[in-house]
Amino acid sequence: MAVQTIVQTVARTLAEEMARDERVVVLGEDVGKRGGVFLATEGLFDRFGPDRVIDTPLAEAAIIGAAVGMAVHGLRPVAEIQFADYVFPGFDQLVSQAAKLRYRSGGAFTAPMVVRLPAGGGVAGGHHHSQNPEAHFVHTPGLQVVYPSTPNDVKGLLKSAVRGDDPVVFMEPKRLYRAIKEEVPDDPDHLVPIGQAVVRRAGDDVVLVSYGASMSETLRAADALAEQGISAEVIDLRSLLPWDEDLVLERVARVGRVVVVSEAPRTGSFASEVAATIAEEALDLLEAPPVRVTGFDTPYPYAQDRAYLPGPDRILHAVQRVLDY
Amino acid sequence: MIGKTQRFEPFAEAPVRVIDEAGQWIAPFAYNLDDDFVRGMYRDLVRARRLDERLSTLQRQGKVSFVASAAGHEGAQVGMARAIEPGRDWLYPYYRDLPLALAVGWPLAEAIAQQMATRADPARGRQMPAHPGSAALNLFTVASPIASHVPPAVGTAIAQKLAGQGDVTLCTFGDGATSEGDWHAALNLAGAQGAPVVFFCENNGYAISVAFRHQSGSVDVATKAHAYGMPGYRVDGMDALACYFVTRQAVEAARDGLGPSLVEAFVYRYGAHSNADDDARYRPADEVAAWRRRDPIGRMRRFLEGRGLWDDAAEAALAAELKAELDAAVRAVEAAGPVPLGWMFDDVLASPSLQLRKQRAALAAQRDLEEPAR
Ligand SMILES: Cc1ncc(C[n+]2csc(CCOP(=O)(O)OP(=O)(O)O)c2C)c(N)n1
Repeated sequence: MAVQTIVQTVARTLAEEMARDERVVVLGEDVGKRGGVFLATEGLFDRFGPDRVIDTPLAEAAIIGAAVGMAVHGLRPVAEIQFADYVFPGFDQLVSQAAKLRYRSGGAFTAPMVVRLPAGGGVAGGHHHSQNPEAHFVHTPGLQVVYPSTPNDVKGLLKSAVRGDDPVVFMEPKRLYRAIKEEVPDDPDHLVPIGQAVVRRAGDDVVLVSYGASMSETLRAADALAEQGISAEVIDLRSLLPWDEDLVLERVARVGRVVVVSEAPRTGSFASEVAATIAEEALDLLEAPPVRVTGFDTPYPYAQDRAYLPGPDRILHAVQRVLDY
Repeated sequence: MIGKTQRFEPFAEAPVRVIDEAGQWIAPFAYNLDDDFVRGMYRDLVRARRLDERLSTLQRQGKVSFVASAAGHEGAQVGMARAIEPGRDWLYPYYRDLPLALAVGWPLAEAIAQQMATRADPARGRQMPAHPGSAALNLFTVASPIASHVPPAVGTAIAQKLAGQGDVTLCTFGDGATSEGDWHAALNLAGAQGAPVVFFCENNGYAISVAFRHQSGSVDVATKAHAYGMPGYRVDGMDALACYFVTRQAVEAARDGLGPSLVEAFVYRYGAHSNADDDARYRPADEVAAWRRRDPIGRMRRFLEGRGLWDDAAEAALAAELKAELDAAVRAVEAAGPVPLGWMFDDVLASPSLQLRKQRAALAAQRDLEEPAR
């Protein structure tokens, strides 16, 4: 067991997978000597060399599109997009090529590949260094989308993504890259299955459902609620496509009150999908309507970097609303 | 305006130089510039460098969150700035272009306000630092996604062509930008349309850590102009006057209806990519030192001194003047105070959506929207 941060876990997990399977290659901007701008690929270039750790030109369409072609030819590419905000020049390759390859060929062609997206706000980056674009991808059948929030889950989900048979959008909470440290098992086969949520904390009064970077605010809100004598259950979805509807519905049915937290803009968000599913499937078991706490329907602001995030204060406010209902 | 006097051959292998590192005039044509014009350029070079240094200080003090130093790029930027008519022509810069923005007349206080995102910022604190923009100057507001501004620059140039007034667009970017699909799509469109646009590449040899030889199989950027049917020019980017003359020729061609050009200036960034970067990981210190010796400011000063247009007293007076100007601007920008929380809801659409109005009202019920943002 080693105590490590999220960003260290990304680099070490990639190293383990590259050592295990020589088909695994890493490509992206500055992933070589520089080790990535966040150091998420640190050490890989020295250990595996320029053929397997490819510093690409500055072109996301080329990075993601080349990953598709490598995957088709038997490699297992892991592409880094420097910030999730810069996936859009490569959007067409992800949505039109990667996502539809299996379907359009009747299963004859597949693209087992991973696209890593450091995402989320709270880093004073403004609208082009802070976004959470998961809704675009969960709205794209043919992709899998995960957004872990802890070093353990990063290791387990990244391994599942690399070893899986489909394209995976692997979102990383960059605000938490160095904020959380925990013991991560040495087991080279420590896997977390895609599609499985986890209960981070058990509670009886309200269920808080969140994922990715917002997990840290959600857990802080649960702490604050505990101080007020309110026991909150906290579910970390970890995977968004597919997502663990069954676990969420089972827990919400037991407690009857739910708040969904996500920092992406509200309209058309993944939080809306969760809330709608709960309303549709569990209405008669609810004591209050499901409530969302989300980012606002604005581009991510610069000066209001922190205020934009659904922080503990806004989460507590929403909890009060479902308790008072 | 200075008349049309000299012609540079497109695709000449040696980068155009007008003054050498010792400050000697080496152009194949006689010096024909107004002395005050050249002194003004020198002033802009020094002013840009002083701002650059001040921003790094402010960053270390925690008053500015991000700095993308332009030190080493000033010659190219101040040179090209003199080749367009600010307020008439359009400019599509990128994030390393603060010297360019200042040189076309962006007020220093506005520039600093953008970096500090106080109430003095006309862009209302919306952008991270190093993202200039000014509607009054036709200075298109910078967007972080690399090369995303190049197709819009061509659109503006097509509109200028349709307007028939002889106005042009100048669009800048780094060498890394030339790999993006948007860049190629835009140059292709400009070539097909004969759009009056000058593309100006500030090639500092690196895109963060990626050296140009890994960026492209082409020998350089100017070469790529062949493919799009436009002239390509190589110029010594540490020679502000060379950048001025070459850009001027490209601008005049665009005004005359001869279509787009691509200019490549060889520059260097002395500092790391940004305050968040560590350049020791990917480039040798002696390379940095060698480029610093070619500094565009020292070179221009030696040229002026050689012609008796500058001396130590003038330098001291300029230093004092610029320090006072910077001090006053920073003070005024800080005094304006932080932008309020509620401003984040404005300017999404011409009038806010029903959803956004409700979201704003919900937050207003919990927090005072006039309180300072953080
Ligand atoms: C579409 C996109 N991808 C990645 C980035 C991250 N990024 C910011 S600057 C940069 C390098 C740019 O290099 P270059 O164009 O040569 O300009 P320079 O910084 O050297 O002046 C990268 C990769 C970005 N801003 N936009």
